Order: sequence, then C-alpha cells, then structure tokens
Amino acid sequence: MKAKKQGFITQDEWRRGLKALEANSLEKLQRALPALEREVMRPSNFKDFYAFAFRYSLTEERQKTLDIGSICLLLKIVLGSQFRPQVDSFTQYLQMQKEYKVLTFDQWMGFYQFCNEISFPDLNNYDDQLAWPLVLDSFVEWIRQKNN
Amino acid sequence: MQRRLGRFWNMQSMRYTIIMPVGLVSKNCTGVLELEKMSAPKRNFQIGPLKRQIVMDPNYADKTWKILEEGIHEIYNCNISGLSFEELYRNAYNMVLHKFGEKLYSGLVTTMTHHLEVISKSIEAAQGGLFLEELNRKWADHNKALQMIRDILMYMDRTFIPSTHKTPVHELGLNLWRDNIIHSAKIQTRLQDTLLDLVLRERTGEVINRGLMRNVIKMLMDLGSSVYQDDFEKHFLEVSADFYRAESQQFIECCDCGEYLKKAERRLNEEMERVSHYLDAKSEAKITSVVEKEMVESHMQRLVHMENSGLINMLVDDKYEDLGRMYSLFRRVPNGLFIIRDVMTSHIRSTGKQLVTDPERLKDPVDFVQRLLDEKDKNDKIINLAFNNDKTFQNALNSSFEYFINLNSRSPEFISLFVDDKLRKGLKGVSEEDVEIVLDKVMMLFRYLQEKDVFEKYYKQHLAKRLLSGKTVSDDAERSLIVKLKTECGYQFTSKLEGMFTDMKTSEDTMQGFYASSFAETGDGPTLAVQVLTTGSWPTQPSATCNLPAEILGVCEKFRGYYLGTHTGRRLSWQTNMGTADLKATFGRGQKHELNVSTHQMCALMLFNNADRLSYKEIEQATEIPASDLKRCLQSMACVKGKNILRKEPMSKDIAEDDAFFVNDKFSSKFYKVKIGTVVAQRESEPENQETRQRVEEDRKPQIEAAIVRIMKSRRVLDHNNIVAEVTKQLQSRFLPSPVLIKKRIESLIEREFLERDKVDRKLYRYLA
Repeated sequence: MKAKKQGFITQDEWRRGLKALEANSLEKLQRALPALEREVMRPSNFKDFYAFAFRYSLTEERQKTLDIGSICLLLKIVLGSQFRPQVDSFTQYLQMQKEYKVLTFDQWMGFYQFCNEISFPDLNNYDDQLAWPLVLDSFVEWIRQKNN
Repeated sequence: MQRRLGRFWNMQSMRYTIIMPVGLVSKNCTGVLELEKMSAPKRNFQIGPLKRQIVMDPNYADKTWKILEEGIHEIYNCNISGLSFEELYRNAYNMVLHKFGEKLYSGLVTTMTHHLEVISKSIEAAQGGLFLEELNRKWADHNKALQMIRDILMYMDRTFIPSTHKTPVHELGLNLWRDNIIHSAKIQTRLQDTLLDLVLRERTGEVINRGLMRNVIKMLMDLGSSVYQDDFEKHFLEVSADFYRAESQQFIECCDCGEYLKKAERRLNEEMERVSHYLDAKSEAKITSVVEKEMVESHMQRLVHMENSGLINMLVDDKYEDLGRMYSLFRRVPNGLFIIRDVMTSHIRSTGKQLVTDPERLKDPVDFVQRLLDEKDKNDKIINLAFNNDKTFQNALNSSFEYFINLNSRSPEFISLFVDDKLRKGLKGVSEEDVEIVLDKVMMLFRYLQEKDVFEKYYKQHLAKRLLSGKTVSDDAERSLIVKLKTECGYQFTSKLEGMFTDMKTSEDTMQGFYASSFAETGDGPTLAVQVLTTGSWPTQPSATCNLPAEILGVCEKFRGYYLGTHTGRRLSWQTNMGTADLKATFGRGQKHELNVSTHQMCALMLFNNADRLSYKEIEQATEIPASDLKRCLQSMACVKGKNILRKEPMSKDIAEDDAFFVNDKFSSKFYKVKIGTVVAQRESEPENQETRQRVEEDRKPQIEAAIVRIMKSRRVLDHNNIVAEVTKQLQSRFLPSPVLIKKRIESLIEREFLERDKVDRKLYRYLA
C-alpha cells in the first residue's frame, strides 16, 4: 500500500491500495488475499519482500539496526513458514547470546541467504572462511558445539 | 736387405726394397714402404701398386700359407729370433695381392684357434693361486704374438679385410681369446669365482696381489665393456651387495650410531680406493651406490633414531665430527638429508617449545632471551661445522625459531627487557664491535616475532624509562639499534622513537636557557631539572593526581612561566609518576644522607617535616597519590632492608588504612648517597600485561581498517578471500591479523557505509567513495 508509517494506514493510502487490487467489497478483498500471498511467495519477489520487512520495521529517522526482540518476531512472521527449523534455531541463539544487541540490514539479508544455501541442520557446506557475517559464524559454531 | 725380426720392433723408420720371390716375375719391383713404429696402428702408408702383370704358380698359395703358418707357430712358441719380418710380410702381401686373402684369413683363424686351445689347457691345469698368474702370463704372450701377427698381416688388415667387412686382425685376436679362453667352460666360472674370492679376501683384511688383479681386470676391459660387465662387474656388484647387506646388519646390531657411521665411511673409502687400484673407473659410481644403499639407505631410520647415540643425542652433545659424517653419508642417498632435517627440526621445535613455556624460565626475562640466543648459537655452529652451511638446514632452523618464539605471547616484551638490560648495564665497557654483535643478535630474534607491534610498545616504554633516568650505557648503541629497526621496519616504526631522543636534547637546551634567564632566581629553593616530552612521541601515561610540596610548586611555576613565554600555544602537564628527587636528610642520631627517591616518595617524605607520625590514610589524603602507587612507594621506604628510612607500625609487609609511619631515626647505611626509588623497567605483572595487550588490540583495529580502505580504494571491487589475503600481506611486518578480526572490521566499515556488499554476489565488496 506504500504506507508511509508502519502500523498506520491513512485513508488515502487505503483507497489507493484497494483500488490497485480492484477490490471494492469485502468478499473481493478476501478473494484477493490468497493471490497476494502467492504473489509474495514467488522467489523473485520474496527477496524484495524480505528486505522490505526489515526496512519497514525501522521506526526512527536515522535508525539502521533492529533490536534482537523485533528481529526474532519478524523472522517468525516472514520466514517462519518457509524455513521453520532455521528460524527457531537462530532465534534461540540470538536470545541466548550476549554479544549482539541489534542486527544490521547486512546481517538480516545474510540470514536469508544462509537459509537458501546452507543445508540444515547438518551445516555441511558452511565455510566460515567465506564472507558470511560474523554473527552467522558464531551461530554455526554454537550449533556445532551443541551437537558435540 | 734382410732385417731380423728380433730387432724389428725397436726401429723408427726404414726403407724397404721388396724383391719378388723366385717363381714369380723376374723383374724387380720397387715399392716404397715407410714404416714408423709398427705397434702403432694408423700411420702414413703408401703402397704403390705393382706395375707388371704377374703369373701365379698354382701351388703358390699353399706354399705361401705354409710359410706363414709356420711363422705364426714360431711366434706363439716365442721363437722369433729365426724369423724374418720382411719375408713373412712379403708372403702375406702376395697372398692378398693374388686374391688368396680368403685363404689367408681363414688360415689365420684356424691357426690362432688351435694355439688358443692349447693355451686354454695349460691355464686350466694351473692349480689354485697359479691360475690367475698363468692366465695373466698367457694373455701377455698372446698380446705380443697378436701384435706381431698383425704387423705381418698389415696389408691384409688394410685392404682385404675392410673390403670384405671381416673383423680386423687385432680385434679378431681378442675375440678368439675371449671365446676360447675366457668363455671356455672350464675357465669362465673359475675366473669369476677367483676374482670375487680375492675381492672378498681383501675386504676381510687380507693383502692380495693388486698388480695381478689389475692386469686381469684390464684384460677383461680390453676384451670389450660387455665382457667386463657380464663376466665380472655384474657379479661383483651382486656379491658386494650381499656382502654389505650382511655386514651392515651385523654392525647395526652391535655398534652405536657414531661407530656405525665410521665403519660405513671406511668401507665406502675402501671401495673407491679399490676401484682406483684395479677396476674400471666407471665402476666407481656403481659400487659406491651399492655401499650407500646397503650400509646407509637401508638403515637410515634406525641410525637416526638410535637410542642414546642417534641424531638427537649428537645434536645435544655437539658431536660435530659424527654429525659431519652423518651429513656427508646421508647426502649420497635419496631422502637422506630430508630425514636428518626433519628430525632436527622437530627436536629444535620441541626444545624451543619447552624453553618458552617453562614457568621457571619465564620469571627472568633476560635469562629467557639469553637462552634463546644460546640455542640459536648452538644450532648455527652445528650447521656451520657439520652440515656444510647447508641453506635448507638454515631455513629449517629459522622456521623452527619463528614457530616456538611466537608460542609465548610475552616474547616481544621479554626481548625488549633483554635489550633494556643490555643497554642499561650489560654492555658497559664492551667494545663497539661486540656491541654491534649483540644488537644484531637481538635483531635476529626480532625478525622471528609475529607481533612486532607489541615489541614496539614495550620498547618505547623501556626506552622512555632509560632516557628519563639517564641510565643508558651508550647513546651510540641506542641510536645504532634504532637504525637497525628502521632498516627492518621502515620509517614509521622509528619516527616516534627518534622524537624521544630529540626531546631529550631539546630539554637540555631549554634548561640552559631557563637558568640563564631571569625566571630562575638564585635562592635557597630546590634546583629543578626538567625534561619536556612531546605527547605522542612518548608512551602514554595515565595522568595521576599528586600534590606537590609548596617549595616544589613554586619553582615549577617559574619554569612554566619561562617555557610558555618562549613557546606560546603549548600546554604543559607535570608527569609526577616519572620524576625523581634528591633529598638531604638528617636522622635521629645526626646521620646525614642524601636520598634519591621518586617524586611520589618525595611528596610523602616532605610531610614528615611537619609531623612525626602519619597514618597511611593521612598520607593518602595529603598527597592525593593513587592508592596502588602510594602503597608501593611506602613499602619501598619502610619494608626493604637497607632502605628503611621510614618505620611502620605494625611491621607487616602489607599496608592497611590505619598503619602508622614514622621517620626511622635508627636508619643507617654505609653510603652517604642512598638510592630508594626505582624507575627501572620490569617485567609486567599479569594484570598490567592484560592491560597492555588490550591496548595493542585496540591499536590494531584502526590499522586493519586503514589497510582495508587503502586496498578497496585502489581495487574498487574485491571478493572476501582476496581482501583477507591482501590485508594480511600488508600488515605482516607488524602483526598477524586473524581472518575473524578482518571480517569484523569489514562489517564495521559496511555499517559505517565505507563499503557495501554487492547486491548479486554477496562475496564481493564494493568501495563507496
């Protein structure tokens, strides 16, 4: 809807959005929803949606990072259906560790790539000598130590 | 002219007139022959053809051959005095000329074969030791005979034989000898066995007839290299291999490493000597490789690891001769030197590791470093004296040192303390050359350090203390070391250090100016000596509070006024934790002493001019010196024997809040001047060490970031692994950054938007201008 502020939709924005969906009744809105979901789930769109989710959650003017609590909630919403085990494990780790109080956009995107590329839960193809964000290196080390 | 055959072989050149025999043409024909020494094969030969037709007598060939056959007989019977060379030559010549070459040749073969068969029998009949002698003798005779026969049949050799591609006479003689004597069933094996037996006997210590051996071996060589090899050399090598295999097995059971090597070397030399005396020179390489294989290569591992006498024992005991022998023997076999180097390297590494991790050693840094130097010297000497200065060994030594020196994270500090000790007192009275030697050794250790920036930090601290306390043995030595460090690490490493020296010099000038100026009024006040240190050049000190006594404050302010008068825009702050003071003190029984103390100690002592008894708390309040410093300086004045100018109640070592201090009226010392304060560089305590390390880690962060930015600025786009490699390379002269650390700095730079990740390939980074 191109709403300016998270959690707030102005009347104009509402009208504009629904017009784009061509939904002028409740039933039509209901019917439009699954299509919307499918649209979002398409991989080419999903990455953009994922990135959007992070930026959308930045409430303050110059805010660049999200606190851990918000990250965990957001991950569950956005990736919970697709990558349940990774999300559960990562959120558990984030809440347990003390080094990072916030995550940056770079780390947020890194996690998405992690879910797509790294086999889970064995983590066999993870190489910490590559350009993965450090928080993911520590995450993987934590998992490996747990398994031993 | 007829010449006797007996004298023939000694003549130089002759002219011969050939007279045709009766029954042939009656005319005389002259051909001119010019002969030099007949024993030489190719000389100038001009044989002119006959100019007249000749008619043959049918029996001519048989008759002529008979003459020749008879001649050959006589030659073999050593009955040459009655023979005429010309006649025989002429007959042979004629036979060939009249196309009877074939008959002549086959006749030769038959006759020689027959004679050789006779000879063979006589050799076979020889008993025991006489076998070889007989063979040798007969061979000599055969050669002589063959020579004469060849001379006689020279014309055939030069004309008929080449054109019919038959074997030349000399060679034929050798082949026939070979086939009929050497390869005869009864002689062949016996000859081999005899020769090998003699070699064996010589190896077991008997003296044999080398001359005879040489002749017989030479005979085999003359018969062709395949004869030498098949009939002798092949078996010689096989038998030798068996012999040395057995002997080496026996030796290795009963000898220690050094003895074994001596024996092996001896055998090797023996064989080389044997070859030079009576074998073909080409056999040398083959027999030495047999000895090397059986005596050295097969037992290398066992020798090196032999208990109590192996390589490690030799290294520990500096057995240069044995080590040299091992080196020169092992060098001859594949992988020999590799094994030595390998064992030596792991030995050095484990010894070194022990040295640097031994807690006892770590208590005395100067001794610690001295031991490292001693270890290096020891190994250098071994490589020099025993291993031929072999570069690969030098490299192995260097990499081992680099390995274990960096196992101890305090090595940089300790090396700096060692230098400090040398420059403060160790090098006193030492010649300039020897000073250079010591400094070069220090540089050598410095090169092995991975964390050179840590060394720099400590070196700076220790240098500052040396300069400020005026306790350096030689200014030249200090400067010499700075130059060496600059050569090694570049200008940046030493620019601040040089700044320190400059400050010292400038301060001298400043003091002169001060005392010449009106600011320094002569009075009874204390005299001040100030060193002005440029912040940034000197190691950063946390500024501590300290209330200076009034008299001192006064004169300090005077200096401040003078200085700021000539240098506007600067700020001065007194570093009370680095100063010293000389106090004149009078004790209870009138003893006078001059005390050299630190500034903090001076502040505490001056309080006793106005009070007899002071509690710790009171002193702390009055001086405002930080607790840990204050406790230390009071302890050094009250609890140290010989320096107890203060008395403490209770007498315990630790200082509690309510402890009371008094001037020790009973203080005595045989010296007038007593030194109490210490501003000497010391090994850091654990917490201090942690602190320094933390500061070093903090300092490294901007250096890594600067390197990353530098690289990305020029490359624009680069992938992760390459950045890590480049950064490591750029910083390696100072320290070794871990990939994790570099990654962290990259992420920090991404956050601050100096870099960004590529949108498509997350391994790539892009520089953001």
